[in-house]
Formats: sequence, C-alpha cells, structure tokens
Amino acid sequence: MVERTLTVQGRLGLHARAAAKLVRVANGFRSNLRLERIDGSAEADAKSILSVLMLAASRGTELRAMADGDDEQEAMNAMEELFFSGFGELQQEVK
Amino acid sequence: MPPLEEIHWQGLGVSEGIVIGRVLRMHSGTRYVYRARIDEADIERELRRFRAAVRLGARQLQKIKERAEVQLGKDHAYIFDAHLLLLEDKKLIRDVEAYIVEERANAEWALKVVGDQLLSVYSEIKDEYLRERGSDIDDVVQRLLVALSGERPPHRNLSHDAVIVSQDLLPSAVAELDLNFARAIATDAGGWTSHTAIIARALGIPAVVGLRDFYRRARTGDSIIIDSSNNEVILNPSPATTEHYRHEADRLSQRGRTEALAERGPARTTDGIEIILRANVELPTEFAGVTRYGAMGIGLYRSEFLLSPRAGLITEDQQYAAYADVARVAGEAGAIVRLFDLGGERNPESWDGQQNPALGLRAIRFGLRQQEVMREQMRAILRAAAEGKLDIVLPMVTDVDDVRRARAILQEEEAGLQQRSVPFGRVRVGAMIEIPAAVLTADKIARVVDFFELGTNDLVQYTLAVDRGNDQVAEWFRTLHPAVLQEIEHSLRAAREAGIQAIVCGEMASTPAYAVLLAGFGATDLSMTPASIPRVRHALNNIDSNAAREICLDCLQCEAAEEVETLVRKRFLAKWPQVFSVRNLPASRKRQ
Repeated sequence: MVERTLTVQGRLGLHARAAAKLVRVANGFRSNLRLERIDGSAEADAKSILSVLMLAASRGTELRAMADGDDEQEAMNAMEELFFSGFGELQQEVK
Repeated sequence: MPPLEEIHWQGLGVSEGIVIGRVLRMHSGTRYVYRARIDEADIERELRRFRAAVRLGARQLQKIKERAEVQLGKDHAYIFDAHLLLLEDKKLIRDVEAYIVEERANAEWALKVVGDQLLSVYSEIKDEYLRERGSDIDDVVQRLLVALSGERPPHRNLSHDAVIVSQDLLPSAVAELDLNFARAIATDAGGWTSHTAIIARALGIPAVVGLRDFYRRARTGDSIIIDSSNNEVILNPSPATTEHYRHEADRLSQRGRTEALAERGPARTTDGIEIILRANVELPTEFAGVTRYGAMGIGLYRSEFLLSPRAGLITEDQQYAAYADVARVAGEAGAIVRLFDLGGERNPESWDGQQNPALGLRAIRFGLRQQEVMREQMRAILRAAAEGKLDIVLPMVTDVDDVRRARAILQEEEAGLQQRSVPFGRVRVGAMIEIPAAVLTADKIARVVDFFELGTNDLVQYTLAVDRGNDQVAEWFRTLHPAVLQEIEHSLRAAREAGIQAIVCGEMASTPAYAVLLAGFGATDLSMTPASIPRVRHALNNIDSNAAREICLDCLQCEAAEEVETLVRKRFLAKWPQVFSVRNLPASRKRQ
C-alpha cells in the first residue's frame, strides 16, 4: 500500500468534469484506490464518480490518497500527475 | 386590442450580447414523483425497469456527448462523460436498488430519495462552483425519471428567432437543443458558473439567468429582448424600445469587428509592456499566415528556400521578384531577409569535403568567400526595397569584422545601382546573434549594426556544443541551460544599452512559456512561426513582466538546466495557473 498527500489544484476544485477524468484514470488500474479528506471528514472510492464528488473538494483541499494492489505505484503516480496538472483544465473557464 | 405592456426583468447576464426575438418556453424537465408501494412479487420487475432506464439513459447520453463534441468541442463535451459515469456509478445503482428492495418502493421514488440525499450534501458546499455542480447529479436523476416514464426526452427544432425561456435548463437539455437556431437563453435559476452559462458562453449565445419567476410570465411567441450587458430581459418591448435595441445590437457587432482587428497589434502584458509579434517564414505557403495570425510583419525570412538543391542558384531578377513579394506580404511593418544561410544540407555546390559543416564555411562566411552570390542577393534585396520595407540580417556573425566586410559590399552594390540609375531602397543591416563569440562581443557588434536578431536554436547548439540532429546527445540539448539564459540576458542588455532593436527569432519565441521568459529578460520583439502567434499573444497578455523578470533572475542563479526547468515549471504554475499547465511547460527530463 502506498499513501500520498495530494492537493486539489484546479481553480474550480474537484468538480464533475475533473472527477470524471480522475475516475476514468482510476478505473484503468487494478489496485484499490481511495481518497480521504486530511481531517478524516469524508472518504471516497476513486473509482466511483459519485463517491469522489461527495468529497466536495474545492481548490486547495488536501486529500490523502491511498493505493493498494499490484499496480499501486503506477496508479498513485497517475493520480498524482492528474492532481498536479489541475486535471488538465487549469486554462479553462477563466473569466 | 391595446398593446401589451413592456415589462423589464433583472437577472444576471452570463453570456454577452443583445438579441431581439420571440419566446419559446421550455419545460426544464423537472418531474414530480410519487411514492407507490409495490408487492414483494413485483420487486424483480421494478429492478428490471430501473436497469432498463439506466441503459436507455446511457445510450441517450452517449449520443448527446458525440453531438456536443462536434458542436461544443471536446472540453465542454466532457461534462457528459461525467454524466455517463454518474449514470453507471455502482454507488448510485446499488443505493437505488437497495432502496427498491428494502422499502418496496417504485423505481421513481427510490431514485428521487437517493438523488435528494446526494444533492443535500451538495447544497451545503460553500464553494459556489462546486455547489452548482449538484445540477449534474440532478440532471442524471431527471434523465432516468424521464426514461422510467417511457416518454421521449424533449427535443425541438427551433424557429430562427427563438429565445429559450425556462425555469432552469439542465446541461444536457441545452446540448439537446438545436443550437444552430437558439438565439438566446433566459432562465429563472442559474448563476455565472452554471452549465447553462458555460455552454452559452462557449456557443456565443447571449444568456441572462437568475430571473426568478420570469418563466411564469412569458408566453411562447411573445416578443422579447435579451440585453446581457445590462443584465436585463424585456418582454413585449414597445416599437421605440425595439428600435433602440436594434441600434445597440448594430453598434455591438461593429465593436466586435474592431476587437478582432485589435488582435493584430502587439501583445501587452498586464503591466502594460508592449511586445511586438512578427512572423518567421520560409515557404510561400506560409505567407497567408502572416495576416491570418496578426503578425506585425516578417521578422525572419529564410531566403535559402529560394535555392533548391537541384536547380542551384536563381537569377537576380527571380530573387528580386521573390523579395518584392515578401515585402508586400509583410506590409508596413516590413520584412527582414536573412542572407543565404548556406553550408548545411541546401548547398548549390558540393560541400561534402567539410568534415564539420556546422563549424565550417557556412552562412556569412560562405557569402564573404563566394562574393558574387552575396552581391547578387544584396542587389535583388536593394531593388525590392524600392517596392516595400526590407532589411537585411547577416547570419552567423562572429565579430564586427564580418559585419564591416558585409556592409562594405552592400555599399558598393548601392553605389553600383545608383550609377546605373536602377531604383532601389535603403535597407537596415542587422546581425544574427547566434554564436557565443558574438554574444560575448555583443556590445561591440551593437555599434556597427542597426539591430540584433537572436537565433536561439543555433545559440543553444553552439553554446552547449550539441548537434541538434544527433539523437545520441539529445539529452544535452537544453534550451533552458543557465549558460544560454545568461547569453540571452547579455545580448538583450547590449542592444538596450546601444539603443538598437533586438528581435528574438528562434524556436524559443514560438513557445508560450519561453516567450514569457524572454519578456522577463526584457525582450519586446519576438518573431515566430505564424501559427504560434495567438498562443504566445495569449500568454503574454496575461502575465506581468516584473513577475517574469523575478523568475528570470532566479533562473540565472541556477546551476544546471534541470534546476531551471523545475523552477520554471513550479513558478509558472503557481503564478499563472490560468495560462500554464504541465502540458505547456518544459517537461521534467531526469537523466537516465
């Protein structure tokens, strides 16, 4: 099992579209992937979009990411990449 | 019949524009749901009904998504991917099914209860954007309810002046509209970040939202005016009001045209520094891009294109015609012709004898040796300069001597043309700063030329002693090497101190992140592949040159390329997240 702290970077937080990307990526791995608010107030299955949305993670929210399984390292790296890139949409919807 | 009373409603304009049209009321699709208690024996049938509705909803969403990709682009279509995932989410399906079984509830009721639980979590979120995302869950729930009812989703073909009036338009409802005909949107609910607003902006359809109970008052077919900039909707406008708005709409479209033209000027950083954007061109097929992308003239015309490896040199007259063409394309801002940069692959004669062509007889060295070639090219340029604004830049200058010799030849050719009464124009002479020796003596060279052009590609190659074409050493080709940055800083400063123009024309200028760094080093004149201009302009328009300067100064302190790249990545992401993402920043290249 690997564990890492990830910060929600996108200006708009972990909203539906970002969550969709995360879930699509998460479902590409065999490992069990979980996200948990640092204060323990909520946790989510990274493979379920509803579950991820229920984290209601706005920008700057710190999440503890946990991956457990035979491809846990790759899965964690992929998730981290996605968080770091602001779910690939830092440039959008700017006004 | 007395004329209908003109009514003004205030809302929030979320997508710019004025539209005069007719109301088309649309039911938002929200449905009322009742509870029914079902028999034990019917539970299985209810579960099947629910699963069939999920499958139907998924098929509909798949279609909407494909259509949205075409009409809205992939970025916006992604929302329907989220809806698809929601629809297929195990948690949603499991919760609804469990409720059906445990409570012996009809599928509609089970769906509504589970949906409301999920939505209640959302309504408590402080962040406005995320809170509004609750509508995504609502959207999916509504779609399933429609599917369960056996009705077809509302789908309309709109008349050409339809203004959609609704309580709330769920995103998928907006995407299902025939968007080619919807002129404007007015809704009772919604805010700046609602999907209706986002999609309306993406489509350029004017929209006013948050009109509270406007839907109740409007009747399909009523005259209506949407004035987004005044956050207003007017029902049954009087002829005078309509006339007034026709003028306003005309004025707005005029302004739209001038704004499109304004995209042609220099970029302007948020602190007001103007940066000129020019085009690098080579092939005639690239000429169209100069105007299309709003370049201020041609910063670099690579003339060696005129020489084909087979045909060899072309005549002076042919060259003259080509340069006159280039001047015409460049317009008022003019074009800078780089003298033949020969010595590489495009050689009129065989240079195979050179063991190391990059360091051999090429560019200005070739011209100074084969003077007849250089003289002929200079005459052609001088003659074409009578037709338009042209300048000359000397490639691969090593020191002032190269410049002086070339200038002397140019003067002789001018005198020759004058003597023969051949019309010609004055040209300025610049030096390509692309060899470290030229950088180190830049202050001296600045005294004998009219301008500098920094060729960053060769500068990196010569500074780092790395052949760009050699894959074996690709790892050592680092544009952001501290040595390269110091050279850029040094050259730009030398130009500033001598009071001459400096244009950066290498590939660096074409890359938004590098262009921002160049601005930080004080560059105010960039030349690039025409198609890159909009991206570079966008980046420069959104950055502050002082902040870029600070980052540059820190880069200069770095020990190695890797450190600079990491620093740029981190600082740019932190400083300008709206402009930069990991995808348009230098990638991490940990040495293997």
